[in-house]
Amino acid sequence: MSDPSRDEERELVEGAKRDPRQFGALYDRHFQQIYRFVYSRVREQTAAEDVTSEVFMKALKAMPRYQDTGRPFAAWLYQIAVNAIADRYRTLRPAQPLDDFHDLSIAGPALEDMAAHRDEVRRIWALVEALPHQQRTALVLKFQEDMKIDDIAIAMGKTAGAVKLLIHRGVTRLREDASSLRPVE
Amino acid sequence: MNSYHDPELQEILQDDELRGVAALLSSARLPQPPVDDAFRTGLRRQLMKEAWAMSEGRYSWWRRAFAPPGLAWAGAAVGLILIGTVVVWGALQQPGGLNQVFVQSPIDGQNSVSLQQPILVAFNQPMNHQTTEAAVQITPATNVTFSWAQDSRSLQVQPVAGNLAPNTQYQVTIGPGATTQSGQQLAAPQTITFVTQPPPTPAPSPSPRPTPTNPLAEKQLVTVNGAANLVAQWSADSSSIYFIDGKGTLVVASKSGAASVIAQDGTSSLSISPAGERLAYVRAGKIEILTFATGKAGEVGATPAATLVGWAGDRVVWAAADGFYTLGAGGQSQVAALPATGTVAVVSIAPDGAHATYRQDDKLFVLDLASGKSTQLGPVKATFAGWSPDGADLLYSTGDSVIVADPQGATQATLPGGDAAWSTQDAILLGSDTGLYQVRADGSGGRPVANGTYRSPIWAPDGATFAFVRGNNLWVATAPALPPAPTPVDEAGKVVSAFMDARLKGHESDASSLLDANGKKAYGDGGLDLVVKGDPKFTRYYVVTQALVDTNPDTVRVVVRLVLTHAKLDVNSYEETLTLVRDLNTRVFLIDKATGGSHRDLGKGAEVVSVDVTKDGVKITFDSDLDPGTINDGVLILDSDGKQITATATYVNRTVTLSGFDLKAGARYRLVVLTKVRDVLGHSVSAEYDLDLVGPATKHARRDIVTSGPAPVASPTPNS
Repeated sequence: MSDPSRDEERELVEGAKRDPRQFGALYDRHFQQIYRFVYSRVREQTAAEDVTSEVFMKALKAMPRYQDTGRPFAAWLYQIAVNAIADRYRTLRPAQPLDDFHDLSIAGPALEDMAAHRDEVRRIWALVEALPHQQRTALVLKFQEDMKIDDIAIAMGKTAGAVKLLIHRGVTRLREDASSLRPVE
Repeated sequence: MNSYHDPELQEILQDDELRGVAALLSSARLPQPPVDDAFRTGLRRQLMKEAWAMSEGRYSWWRRAFAPPGLAWAGAAVGLILIGTVVVWGALQQPGGLNQVFVQSPIDGQNSVSLQQPILVAFNQPMNHQTTEAAVQITPATNVTFSWAQDSRSLQVQPVAGNLAPNTQYQVTIGPGATTQSGQQLAAPQTITFVTQPPPTPAPSPSPRPTPTNPLAEKQLVTVNGAANLVAQWSADSSSIYFIDGKGTLVVASKSGAASVIAQDGTSSLSISPAGERLAYVRAGKIEILTFATGKAGEVGATPAATLVGWAGDRVVWAAADGFYTLGAGGQSQVAALPATGTVAVVSIAPDGAHATYRQDDKLFVLDLASGKSTQLGPVKATFAGWSPDGADLLYSTGDSVIVADPQGATQATLPGGDAAWSTQDAILLGSDTGLYQVRADGSGGRPVANGTYRSPIWAPDGATFAFVRGNNLWVATAPALPPAPTPVDEAGKVVSAFMDARLKGHESDASSLLDANGKKAYGDGGLDLVVKGDPKFTRYYVVTQALVDTNPDTVRVVVRLVLTHAKLDVNSYEETLTLVRDLNTRVFLIDKATGGSHRDLGKGAEVVSVDVTKDGVKITFDSDLDPGTINDGVLILDSDGKQITATATYVNRTVTLSGFDLKAGARYRLVVLTKVRDVLGHSVSAEYDLDLVGPATKHARRDIVTSGPAPVASPTPNS
């Protein structure tokens, strides 16, 4: 049975390939998540706007050449975003403290554990920022954007196996770097 | 054991400790980061402009391929394939076939759309009115009304304010909620983008008018049911218009919009008697004459069948296949014969019944009905365009031009092309799909009146009211009187235009030639940039406000907004205030002073696009429909001490009018628009807008010319 959402997206993609003027629907559909992802990497509104503009402009211009491989269209947009961030912000580190951005209030199993849990989450995401670039990107796409391994592979231009390795190494290194982390029960 | 179970991670993260880390990572969800709505919509706009450019590139290729002389064998072959494709596509449009919905608009991608132009949207299938109207989204925030063509394939979107905002980029999106009458949805949202023109004239010192955004007081009356060439004539008192619609129905419509049918089907020509008391029309080859006072119609049997009807004084005259006839005491009699050779067709009978025009093959002739003498008008394929009100002169078209000629065919004047109408005030309207032009019969005083669609204009006898066809509807409007001598503001405005155009083109010396010694200092070292360089790029300008501020010598103050663009997107703007002084010897205005303002980001909430200053008020026009509740205390006028002047703020059609106070000539004021002002979608003005103003001088204040109504006479209307 086909996925209605995928079918709808396929129609939008085909429409935009035929007529670039229909790209607006894809933009409306994916702006939020791409902007959120870009912002999470650059942590500065103006920079996020610049990169997001670049992502969608590149996507629009490349639409006639886009090939539907059965993966979500968003994976392709993430791929452009990953490359754009890598190209333009290769040396840039997050300018904003993590506390200002990560919403830690919605997780946690019990009220008495909330404060401790917040600290742990804050710490582990701070450690993520210190990971090598590829590992960091793979973890963000997996745990923040909830993407499938195959889609992350497309976004990062790697094989699924390579992505799994990046995630494994990243999580293992986090465990090593934060020996006192407490898992969520 | 932790509760985080992602099947994909099971094989990657083998032990609970690693899965615990994964659970911790996934437990921090990203909130929505701060998003600037203006950025989001601005980027969309930029993408759509780029998309249009890409799309036009495709069409250019198509056009090149099929344009002569490039139409080669390959092109022909492709053409055949396309034709075949269209045929197949058409066949598939039957229920159950390939039912894709397409949206088009003639103003798609245009950068100079007239303000009077409704937003026209065409569909390839009949649409459900309710769902389609609900799916229309417009930026900037604009309240609109909808009207549909009978076949439900064409939608006119008309701003409630009467016209579009000037100098504004619009985006009109038909969302996927729109459905066809068979219930099919659009596959994807489809967007129409365009940029509007500046207002036709900046109108520096206008009198307050109730509908300033609809200067011609245009009003849609009734459908013409597809009539290609309108056959119509106004009543003698200019209160109603009689016309024959595309189905041959004779209809009378009053200026208020009320319409009634006089004769169903088969009507082909009409003419109101010069005294205005009778209406003659041709129906099924016979002539029927309706007397207004009694409401009774009589019939005149015409043999051979009548094709056209008119009046010579109080006697009816008509055309038939072999000549012209009138009705005397002894019955019908021929007045003049038509040539017996070639293909002959009568075109029109003059309002005085003394002349008529006819075609013989490809040639146009005027016939003197008394003498029977014919004179050819213009070259081959010339077409008749109208009569003067008294029938003493006529108009014919050669394609690019309209010629004013006497009945002997001698050219009196040459006018621009268009559908012509000659008023009792000797003003000639020339309408077309793109605009309306008005000129005197001698060819002088010509000027564009409005941009937009004005087909088949027809003057009413009052010389001010006229009807025209736009789309499939009959409209009525009031034409402005022909302009008097240009005012100081007009003259200064031309200098400003030349100055700004030269700067836009980077022609520094041309721009500099319009500066006097003081002006050159203002644009000299350390001053303003005469040629604006860099990125964002200076791409367009428009006048925000202008006024005569002194009369000894004439001094005009003009505020010009320079718009800067980056990657096709208007990103910000700044204003320059120019003071022009008339040289007492040469009588020419030169720029004497210039000051620059700060930059302002665009696309973030409502923007002021025009400010008109009069002695007793200030009128501020925005690009968006505003929330009226935010106007009071949001739009202020301050005196030279910065003290707020007590004023009454009223809001109509995107325009705020501050009144109830007097502006002293030459005194300084400041208009302030605070960020509390919001558009109808709730977006606030992004940053406070300040504009310094000077109280207007009154010595040269020009009153609108009021034309007294002429004695009622029939308007000159071609009979076909």
